[in-house]
Amino acid sequence: MKPAPLAEPMDMASISAAADAAARQIPPLWPLATSAAVNPFLGQARETLAEASARLGRVGGISVTMPRTWYLARIEAGEITDQDLLAALAASPHAGGPNDLQTLVSAAREARPARQPMATIADLAAGHCGTDWPGLIADRTGVWAGGYFDQGQALWAAPHGRRAWITFRAHATQDLTPEIMGLKGFGTFVARAPQDPMAAIARAVFRLGLNEAALATYFHQLLLSLGGWAQYGRYALWRAELAGGTNTTLIDLLAIRLLWEEALFVQHEAAIHDQWAGIRIAHEAPVAADEAGIVDAILQEAAERAAQRGLAETLAAPALQTFDDRPALQAAFCIDVRSEVFRRALEAVDPGIRTLGFAGFFGVFTEHRRFASDVRELRLPVLLNPTVSSSSGEPSDKDKDIAARYAARAKRAWGRFKLAAVSSFAFVEAMGPVYMAKLVRDALALHRPAMPNDPAPRFDPALDLETRIGAAETVLRAMSLTSGFARVVVLAGHGANVVNNPYASGLHCGACGGYSGEVNARLLARLFNDPKVRAGLAERGIAVPEDTLFVGALHDTTTDAVTLYDKDAHTLHHRSDLDKVRRWLAAAGKVTRGERALRLPRAADADEIKVRARDWSEIRPEWGLAGCKAFIAAPRTRTTGRSLEGRAFLHDYDWRQDAQDGFGVLELIMTAPVVVASWISLQYYGSTVAPEAFGSGNKMLHNVVGGIGVFEGNGGLLRAGLPWQSVHDGERYVHEPLRLSVCVEAPREAMSEILSRHEGVRTLFDNRWLHLFAMDDEGRLAFRYTGDLQWRPMTPAAPVRDMKAVA
Amino acid sequence: MLDDLIPLIAPVVLLVAAGVALRESGPRPQRLPALAQAATLTALAAAVGSVLVLIWYGPGTGLLLGIAGVGVSTRLDVVSVTMLVLVTFVGWIVVRYSITYLDGEARQGVFLGWMMMTLASVLLLVQAGNLVQLVIAWIAASLCLDRLLLFYRDRVQAVRAARKKFVVARIGDAALVLAATLLGLGYGTLDIASILAAAREGVVPGGAVWAAGLLALAALLKSAQFPTHGWLTEVMEAPTPVSALLHAGLINAGGFILIRFADVMLQAPGVLAVLVMFGGFTALFGGLAMLAQPAVKTSLAWSTIAQMGFMIMQCGLALFPLAVLHIVAHSLYKAHAFLVSGTAVEMVAAHRRPGPVAIPDGWAVVRAFGLALAIYAAIGFAFGFDGKSPQAIVLGAILIFGVAYLLAQGLADAAPRVLTRRTALYSVAASISYFALQRGAEWLTAGTLPATPAPGPLEWALLALSVFSFGLVAIAQATFPLWAYHPAAAGLRVHLANGLYVNAVFDRLIGSWSIRRPS
Repeated sequence: MKPAPLAEPMDMASISAAADAAARQIPPLWPLATSAAVNPFLGQARETLAEASARLGRVGGISVTMPRTWYLARIEAGEITDQDLLAALAASPHAGGPNDLQTLVSAAREARPARQPMATIADLAAGHCGTDWPGLIADRTGVWAGGYFDQGQALWAAPHGRRAWITFRAHATQDLTPEIMGLKGFGTFVARAPQDPMAAIARAVFRLGLNEAALATYFHQLLLSLGGWAQYGRYALWRAELAGGTNTTLIDLLAIRLLWEEALFVQHEAAIHDQWAGIRIAHEAPVAADEAGIVDAILQEAAERAAQRGLAETLAAPALQTFDDRPALQAAFCIDVRSEVFRRALEAVDPGIRTLGFAGFFGVFTEHRRFASDVRELRLPVLLNPTVSSSSGEPSDKDKDIAARYAARAKRAWGRFKLAAVSSFAFVEAMGPVYMAKLVRDALALHRPAMPNDPAPRFDPALDLETRIGAAETVLRAMSLTSGFARVVVLAGHGANVVNNPYASGLHCGACGGYSGEVNARLLARLFNDPKVRAGLAERGIAVPEDTLFVGALHDTTTDAVTLYDKDAHTLHHRSDLDKVRRWLAAAGKVTRGERALRLPRAADADEIKVRARDWSEIRPEWGLAGCKAFIAAPRTRTTGRSLEGRAFLHDYDWRQDAQDGFGVLELIMTAPVVVASWISLQYYGSTVAPEAFGSGNKMLHNVVGGIGVFEGNGGLLRAGLPWQSVHDGERYVHEPLRLSVCVEAPREAMSEILSRHEGVRTLFDNRWLHLFAMDDEGRLAFRYTGDLQWRPMTPAAPVRDMKAVA
Repeated sequence: MLDDLIPLIAPVVLLVAAGVALRESGPRPQRLPALAQAATLTALAAAVGSVLVLIWYGPGTGLLLGIAGVGVSTRLDVVSVTMLVLVTFVGWIVVRYSITYLDGEARQGVFLGWMMMTLASVLLLVQAGNLVQLVIAWIAASLCLDRLLLFYRDRVQAVRAARKKFVVARIGDAALVLAATLLGLGYGTLDIASILAAAREGVVPGGAVWAAGLLALAALLKSAQFPTHGWLTEVMEAPTPVSALLHAGLINAGGFILIRFADVMLQAPGVLAVLVMFGGFTALFGGLAMLAQPAVKTSLAWSTIAQMGFMIMQCGLALFPLAVLHIVAHSLYKAHAFLVSGTAVEMVAAHRRPGPVAIPDGWAVVRAFGLALAIYAAIGFAFGFDGKSPQAIVLGAILIFGVAYLLAQGLADAAPRVLTRRTALYSVAASISYFALQRGAEWLTAGTLPATPAPGPLEWALLALSVFSFGLVAIAQATFPLWAYHPAAAGLRVHLANGLYVNAVFDRLIGSWSIRRPS
């Protein structure tokens, strides 16, 4: 074979750099058991929406906004006003878009030109020989990668523990399918490929005649064509880098995908050579925002401005009067948008109840071992590393722990008996009829799954007193809770309560690494109840009254029941308080279910919601965080009594307390919870606007693979993101794709200063993946962040009362 | 005579409800969920009613509603009422499941309509008293199922798999039509009971053996036997309840016609021998391929292929009562397994929690097999070996090999005593349950299904081959971790995971992966 002509010589370093850059265009995908929402545009955060649109359009034909008709309907309904459109037009950072309102609106009336991705060699070969090579590559990748990444589904596991490139080659040299399908000599081709994947990549680059400038989008495109498998590789890299190491899985995947391209190129070169030359050149062109993308981005911004107008009006309404007496109950919940509904309901039950919002892991960065388990669970935000470890049960529970393990192991042996080659026949003939009862039980939802109820967790190894006091102080200050403690303080983590749902973890607490949040809450309550810790806190200026009891709890977001873990503490003197708290929580749960029932399909009233939790055929047990659009960091008094419709993350924050400590808490909020909320918001956004690329497809076709993810249907690509049924109820969208509006009551200078020190966070705001607002002392949106550390006063939101005053 | 009509209520009610459902369009049809569930519950009640009719009046064929021997007539016996109850029960479960599962789906009405049409066809098939009804219901069930498999018509993979199934199914249909024609001509009647009675008396007209061969072919194709199993591993392109219905209902049709025509099949020992070979091979091949599948539904599909192979092998060994038991037991298990396939994430996570799996060494495996055989002997004597056919004894031995696997896990050196005790307890319970069910199946079907004839030389050879090959695989499986991860086994794993490429060759032959170009 004659070497293809090269435009210019390239060294390994630049190819390697291009491969690494392409890898970083791919967002990570957490395994389903511990899933975390991920910003699908993570790799494009340095670009604006219009630029990302051009890039993702080129590499995958992906559109990053809703169809134009969606915006048009809102414009015609008057939800998006001319004012919104003009403001969005003025805010557009791009030249080359529409110049005036009329051009913009008429553009909204036209269908957006379809984005055509560039063809790969596989596409060209398919066009030439009529065999669906892209489909076959996806299929073969699914077979190999499904085995390679399997966490324990197959009884006969594929070889693990060696790098992806090596195991793929071992697999592909045995697999006869590509040759049966017409790719001649593929096995030999794979066997003779270089040992080093970078060398294989370089060889392919030379053979395909690629120029350095063409590599960025071509490599990105190849990785994108591997769907969730590439994202799972990116996850391995993410985890490795968090632990201070590195991981080459994605580079290996790129080498594997290029090997296919190269093999197909060799076979079809004569026929596709000219077409390929054109594509190669097209890849070299730099990515720039085009007119269609700019129009889309402006329309999107206008939709967001319309929503922000509504938010501003809600926040501008007069605040409810609050009392300064000692509250009867303080209840801290996760900032999760689902808590907002419950908190509002709980506060309405009794005027003596106060609620707080804080990230649901409550500042406990723990690596937890649950009862009778060897698995170390990372119950903390996925952006961070654990700082403590914990386990459920006291050392004296050893016997029970072992007994539970034996029971689990016997069950596991029985499970293997059920599945193994010859024994499965014996199993079926002996036990099949029992399944008649199981079918009836599950069809009628007779089985009630229990909420997590392990023995109380403890730090393991135990923490010394100084550390415990320090941790307690840090968390209390971060919660802005340093005085006015009630007799009972409930710390409520949250978790979903669903059956037969591969996405259960996605409904649990994202801040707890996709687990339910009761472990962190119980650990913290125990810490706060420790008399020695209380004494230490008093020395540091936080006086917790002796009669204050902290109770860990779990808010079941599917049924809105709250479990109190009061047996973890001595509650002799709080019996009647706890009874009262239980009644309040039950009453609030009922109100919350009533409000949620309005949004959920087939939920005529509050009671029907409870059944959903145990219905095996229910694919919309709850809406999760669908609808989220705002993040508010301010004292609760700014939002008390106002309905934020379960669409806002509420973080308690009092900048006046924080100012003394140099805005350390503000920095924490802007760099951790805000970023996590942006990942959630953008995951919903991506799964709504581009369900094919950033959603996991139809839940009814899901086929769980390797215990880590899903196929949609038979096999092929792993699917990432949210299922269609999580953003759409069959008749309408339940999530409005809006980038999150972050509203913080804090001095602008303090926020600008923090942004200037955190490049990654600033990028998100500057490129408007997030909107930022500064609230004034009355809780109104006063200033809008416009990028480059600049702020602009909000035009008065024209509140209704002002209009009247003028008239 | 009205009691003749009770079994017919089931398909009729479903057909009426399906007619209503198919006219619905748009998501969340108003009254349809209630109607569909009422229809399936009525069908279930009719099936239970048929059981009572059978107990009261004994087996028989009802009046023929039609002309010139062509029409609907109901054969009521243990086999048909068992299938009626099974199909209506599973039907109720999957329809109920679909009502919630497909909520909000734009074409839910159409889905429920075709699902009830499919169920009605299967119900007409299992109660068919005459050949014409049998053939028409057989074909109708397959065509209705196609509509469900192609529920998402724009999915390339769905079309690909359905096309493959279509090819296989139409060959099967042709085989069944030919077989029915030969039987009708040979025995001079379309009434199935008459044909069976004649065959039982040893009447073997010319063409009967050919008919048996064609029935066997139709069964092998219907039940996804090697080498035509490929389509079954690819039809996860429709909503989960369709898979449950397919794997718990339609796939059994192959076994059902073999059992229905058991008396005819017995006249062709050569054909039975072929069934043993294909079934036995598919059982082992499917079981091994399944071990290497990392996706839950795909793994369940391979499991069905293997289980169907085992059931076909039972038919080939003339153990028809056991085949009935296997169909019932497997259907219930598999329907449940598909419907709860969403738990796979939690299952995998739960398996990792209690620590590593104890691996039995060679000596533990030997002891496990010894213990298992002892359990077999003990229970065998308790239930009585006498009067058991050698075929049944061999089958029992094969199943006890499976129990040995469970015992071996408990005997692994690293396994604590408690675990050993528990697995031993499970083993004994499973063995007792198995033999009790087997006895029950034999007792219930005595008189309806022919007794297993004494084995001739060919049968003895097949029995020896079966014990040997299943025993070998059982030992391989019990010692699995000791060899499966050796590099030498890596290639074997790849080939098995790919189903020995039969499917790929099939794909190539019918152009599954070709892109349709605009003409």
